[in-house]
Amino acid sequence: MTPAILTGYVVVPLFGALMCTAPAVTRPTLQFGVRVPAARAGEPVIARQRRAYRWRTAAVAACATAAVIALRGHGSWWLPRIILLLEVTADVGCFRLAHKKITAVKAAESWFAGLRQTMAADTSWRTRPQPFPVRWLIPAVTVIAATAITGAARYPYLPSHLTALGGRSVPRSPVSAFALVIGQLYVTGVGTGLLVLVYRSRPDIDAADPAGSLRRYRTLLATYARAALTLLALVDVTLLLAALQLWRVCQPSGAHTALMLVPAGAGVLILITAAIRAGRQRAQLADRQQRPGPPTVSDRDDDRFWKAGLLYVNRDDPAIVVATRFSVGWTLNLGTPAAWLVIAAIIAAAAGLALLRITAGL
Amino acid sequence: MQLSIQPDGPVPIYQQIRDQVVEAIATADLPAGAGLPSTRQLAVDLGINFHTVNKSYDLLRQEGLLRIGRKSGAVAARDAASGPPRPGWEQDWAGRLRTLLAEAAAQGLPADDIISRCEAVVAQFAFPAVPAAASTAGTRL
Repeated sequence: MTPAILTGYVVVPLFGALMCTAPAVTRPTLQFGVRVPAARAGEPVIARQRRAYRWRTAAVAACATAAVIALRGHGSWWLPRIILLLEVTADVGCFRLAHKKITAVKAAESWFAGLRQTMAADTSWRTRPQPFPVRWLIPAVTVIAATAITGAARYPYLPSHLTALGGRSVPRSPVSAFALVIGQLYVTGVGTGLLVLVYRSRPDIDAADPAGSLRRYRTLLATYARAALTLLALVDVTLLLAALQLWRVCQPSGAHTALMLVPAGAGVLILITAAIRAGRQRAQLADRQQRPGPPTVSDRDDDRFWKAGLLYVNRDDPAIVVATRFSVGWTLNLGTPAAWLVIAAIIAAAAGLALLRITAGL
Repeated sequence: MQLSIQPDGPVPIYQQIRDQVVEAIATADLPAGAGLPSTRQLAVDLGINFHTVNKSYDLLRQEGLLRIGRKSGAVAARDAASGPPRPGWEQDWAGRLRTLLAEAAAQGLPADDIISRCEAVVAQFAFPAVPAAASTAGTRL
């Protein structure tokens, strides 16, 4: 299975399905990137926009998938990627449309009038911090160690030229032989580092129910972290299988190439399933635990800090990582220099990897 | 302990944090020796400037309610069971209480109402249990 086919047949419909279902796993008080008081979560405009968004994104996903199938065999490897880019742009357009419509009604009807806008914190988040699931990191570390040991054992017997995944022949060197181990270290290091940042960041707390929402957030974070660490381990397994082919432990064949992607694909599915389940559970519990009568306390209306409802830019907020407004996940506060340092570190590490790949001739 | 800050309210944010920590100590939500997040962590959790939290912690430290150590972090320094307040504190507090009660009287709240409200608030606080020996000592004498 080539990357082009993977993008075409798997990523395009999967991305479309994820965008279509995202509103169902988002907090009820955050609709299409718009902060909404709990009492207004059932407004007709929100129900209407959710319905319209579902139809629009489903149509976009269907068109993109149909285009990929219809144009099969035409164009080059970049064609499915262009279709994916168009799909992403169209989905963001659907999101922006719903965002604008809800924002307009919210402003016209002054949804936050008379509410005490509050920022809540629970000190137990810091005094009894959520333990990082270190044990779930063991599989990834074991796979990396196994890959490195196998590579070290095979290295003396490798021919003077290795056959890279693309079929090119590259001269044998420690860098070309161990490139995939370095890749494993990069993926696992960046993934774990970002997860640690999330564990140290601000929890997603509902001002009307701080204790309940913190409990739900702890459950969601634990589920998400375990799934993310499983994904890292499975990506490492895919890289191990690729390394076995590079080191000629197993002979390259079409079936083997397709089989290599199965662990990483399974990892992505596990993470998506866990995120959707945890997000739905949180949204349903938050709905169920709403108190009767109109609440007087509400989360702070912080829409002005969210550019296009998706990017968080707040210079007065010292948090580097905050919960995303759409779907389940986290995003960086682009208003802090530290967030740009994180982005720079990830890009620098990726650039270093690319440079290593070029020097090794891979 | 939970903190609820209203950034657009009339009370400054540092004062809101200080007041809620005092209330948590009085209700035993934050007993003596219990820890609070560092200034940086609390600033991140509330999404506010770190200097604002620093100002509240400094105020609490000056009042003898918070102890800030390099290793231990911010810890509640005392509570209702820690004995009487430092000399001179009560006089200062009585002055502030007088103004607060005077506000209610000036606004026309009946005396009974003021007293019942005071009792209701005090009933929410945790006071140390009077030792059995001390309470029965009077009857024995």
